[in-house]
Amino acid sequence: MQESVMYLHGMVFLLGAAHTLRVNGHVRVDIFYRSFSPKKQAKVDLFGSLLLLMPVNIFIFMVSFDYVMRAWRVMETSQEAGGIPGVYLLKSLILLFSFTMLLQGIAEVIRNVVKLSLDKPLSKAENQ
Amino acid sequence: MEYISLLMFLAVCLVLLLGYPVAYSLAGTALIFAGVGAFFGVFDTSYLQAVPSRLFGIVSNQTLIAVPLFVFMGVMLEKSRVAEDLLLAMEQVLGRLKSGLAVSVVLVGMLLAASTGIVGATVVTMGLLSLPTMLKKGYSPSFACGAICATGTLGQIIPPSIALVLLGDVLSSAFVQAQLNMGIFSPRSVSVGDLFVGALVPGFLLVGMYLLYVLVFASRHITPSLEQSDQAPISVSALFAALFPPLLLIFMVLGSILAGFATPTEAAGVGATGALVLAIINKQLNLQKLKDVMMSTAKVTSMVFLILIGASIFSLVFRGFGGEELIQELFTRLPGGVFTAVLLVMVVIFLLGFILDFIEITFVVVPLVAPVLLAMGVDPIWLGIMIAVNLQTSFLTPPFGFALFYLRGVAPPEVKTSHIYRGVIPFIVIQLILLACLAIWPNLVTWLPYLL
Repeated sequence: MQESVMYLHGMVFLLGAAHTLRVNGHVRVDIFYRSFSPKKQAKVDLFGSLLLLMPVNIFIFMVSFDYVMRAWRVMETSQEAGGIPGVYLLKSLILLFSFTMLLQGIAEVIRNVVKLSLDKPLSKAENQ
Repeated sequence: MEYISLLMFLAVCLVLLLGYPVAYSLAGTALIFAGVGAFFGVFDTSYLQAVPSRLFGIVSNQTLIAVPLFVFMGVMLEKSRVAEDLLLAMEQVLGRLKSGLAVSVVLVGMLLAASTGIVGATVVTMGLLSLPTMLKKGYSPSFACGAICATGTLGQIIPPSIALVLLGDVLSSAFVQAQLNMGIFSPRSVSVGDLFVGALVPGFLLVGMYLLYVLVFASRHITPSLEQSDQAPISVSALFAALFPPLLLIFMVLGSILAGFATPTEAAGVGATGALVLAIINKQLNLQKLKDVMMSTAKVTSMVFLILIGASIFSLVFRGFGGEELIQELFTRLPGGVFTAVLLVMVVIFLLGFILDFIEITFVVVPLVAPVLLAMGVDPIWLGIMIAVNLQTSFLTPPFGFALFYLRGVAPPEVKTSHIYRGVIPFIVIQLILLACLAIWPNLVTWLPYLL
């Protein structure tokens, strides 16, 4: 019961992060970004996704893979008495997190490439 | 080689300014540095092996579970119009006084801070409801905007506040680390609850200073309008109906923490449930609204925790490059010892507040400097509250002050952005005065927590 809260909590942000990226809900320092033209914003997002987001998630996936597999091998259970015997599942969320983020990152790359390849200037509304 | 860590810090600041989401700017830049460093053999990649257990540590951290719960509580209260009822009732009671509107804004801001603690929601609500009335009554736009923005940020310091939960978590691990470094192997601990208690006196002091300022200077900023007050006096029962629900919620959440019945996380659960019940009683809850509240809770929570993930990767790499030793060395070499060290940190946090907001500063800067300061003998609760008050200004300092954005979003077009910027200056000064007072009389913070 105690630990179910932790499982729910972990799911909220590890699985919600990719959706938040999709709806542009992650904080930016937008002093300059705000005044960029839509094309320039698309460039920042394209290169940010390629150089920052995708490497980080590939890295998190790779470095966590063994860690999670170790938990699976022993079917790791909670250290608390009466805890949920599913710590390996909880840890798997880390892989799922980096995987969904990577997918959304690829989607962002495609979206921004399309934006940049359009000839006509973009309006602010289309840029969302 | 330690200087690479400083170089990395500067590089991160530059990348941040481009505007890509903060979490990935932090983690991505750090990884690039780590990669290049490992290639040239100046970075030990074993530091990065700690990443998965750090991530799992974030998931299984009991204290941080309070964050989504408090967010849920705040968003729910916002959507169930508790704030609106409160504001309208207070305005009717105090509206007859000359500075009554401004006083009611400060008082409602305090109550909202103690119940929801979400800066954006408070500023938007007051900006939509109070600002037009204040302008109509002849308040100067800058004065009205300043009062609304500043009281909106009270949620930062008045417990229960999400900022204090995050700070408390960072500080408690910093405190343990500092003691272990000093060779104390049964370290004392500091909890989020301690910070909540410590924030009470400074929080009310700040409200008092705001009220004083508003009462003294309001007359200068109000041009008397010809318009007669046409409001009917409010009935006692209507005032009670507006005041009772938030007061009850504050009493349950804060009371259970202060009395030692509940940890802040448990109290946050109480608050979230309470907000849900209030919404049902007010007949404001339907399935669609519940869905909206849960969606925005998930988004805000993801945003906060993704920054935490990004910041923890950044700080691992920073440590890998020997950045911690560098900071430690810098602080011990400073003339004037602890005082100049704290002063330096405060100035840096204040300046960073112009471009970053509290979450990033809490997760990136505080873990780097807090262990060193605490090892120098600084009281952890006092340091936490000093940082919290200081971070409150980051909401008000242009160009990247959240409270200013939120108000700009809802303010009528005749209010210029320069009005908002000018209006908050006196309130920033008040916050800095409070900071100075807390520095001179640390007992203002530490007296209550050590009494309980």
